Amino acid sequence: MATTNKQSGSSTRKLETNPRGIPRAPFISSVEEHVGGPDVEVESTLKQFQEAIAKYRYMELNLQQRKKGLLEKIPDIQKTLSMVSFLRDRRLGKSKAQGDEDDDDLDDDEDSQKPLTATFELNDTLYAEAELEDTDVVYLWLGANVMLSYTQNDAIALLSSKLEAAKLSLGNATEDLEFLREQTTVMEVNTARCYNWDVKRRRERREAAQIAGKDEGED
Amino acid sequence: MSVNVQDLDLPQLTEVKRQLDEELGHLTNSFAQLKQAQAKFKACVENVAEINPSNTGKVILVPLTNSLYVPGRLSNPDTVIVDVGTGYYVKKERAAAVKHYQAKMDFVRSNLETLQETIQKKQENLSFLIQVMQAKMQQ
Repeated sequence: MATTNKQSGSSTRKLETNPRGIPRAPFISSVEEHVGGPDVEVESTLKQFQEAIAKYRYMELNLQQRKKGLLEKIPDIQKTLSMVSFLRDRRLGKSKAQGDEDDDDLDDDEDSQKPLTATFELNDTLYAEAELEDTDVVYLWLGANVMLSYTQNDAIALLSSKLEAAKLSLGNATEDLEFLREQTTVMEVNTARCYNWDVKRRRERREAAQIAGKDEGED
Repeated sequence: MSVNVQDLDLPQLTEVKRQLDEELGHLTNSFAQLKQAQAKFKACVENVAEINPSNTGKVILVPLTNSLYVPGRLSNPDTVIVDVGTGYYVKKERAAAVKHYQAKMDFVRSNLETLQETIQKKQENLSFLIQVMQAKMQQ
């Protein structure tokens, strides 16, 4: 976390960033101090605040899209992982059973399990039957026209790590979204206070000018 | 009771035109969707043709999930399973499946033709309306 201290007048502002580099919005407790004096124009300050708010909104939009993508991916990875685990356990169970059968002298031609028949999707409404071969190799589609073959154990390791990373990203994204909401609110409050202060100041100036004008008139 | 378009004044004509535009948009959308559905059924017919006896026993990559493929062989070249809607899946022989998809395609095609006629009529109404509007604007 980066921390910088800025001294302006008698108020201290700390610019912090959250773990993923989103800057914290400072709460301006005294508008006059922040602007730098009672007679300074607030236009530029207001513009700064608006820009900051726009930046936060943009980041929020990005994060929301990322979160949506992750929410779609995670169940998919879980399904694939459980499928590969099932295939591996089945295969381990089968070879263990065959190992026991080797102790018998007779009949080691017969498998203890028939090959697995699966109904797979040819098209949206069309399915066909197939027999799955008993190999250790599975193929994983990694996207971007890339498919790699893995052994079942490697595939399980890869999928587990992908799932962990995706869950972590999702947690981070949610946390960041909350943080961003907070910061946008702070900035909006700052804008409102700055604007109100300016309105008040104008009103005071106008009244002072009126009083001064009346005094001169009386002279 | 139908109102003659000539009797309407300009703001009302604009409103009618807006409505017609909206309807035309919806209809064109539906037309596109029906075309998509037709293409899908055509693809299904071709896919069924792939499951033929000459392909049995050949090694294929069987998709188990969106990103998982396992090598396998076609076990049953005679039947396929067709999703007939409302959660029912029927095991059909290949010929019956092809007939099923053909029937769906014909149904979609007849709907497409009816839709096409409706769209054309709406377009004619729209152009007539625009003519009347232009005449009014010049008055």
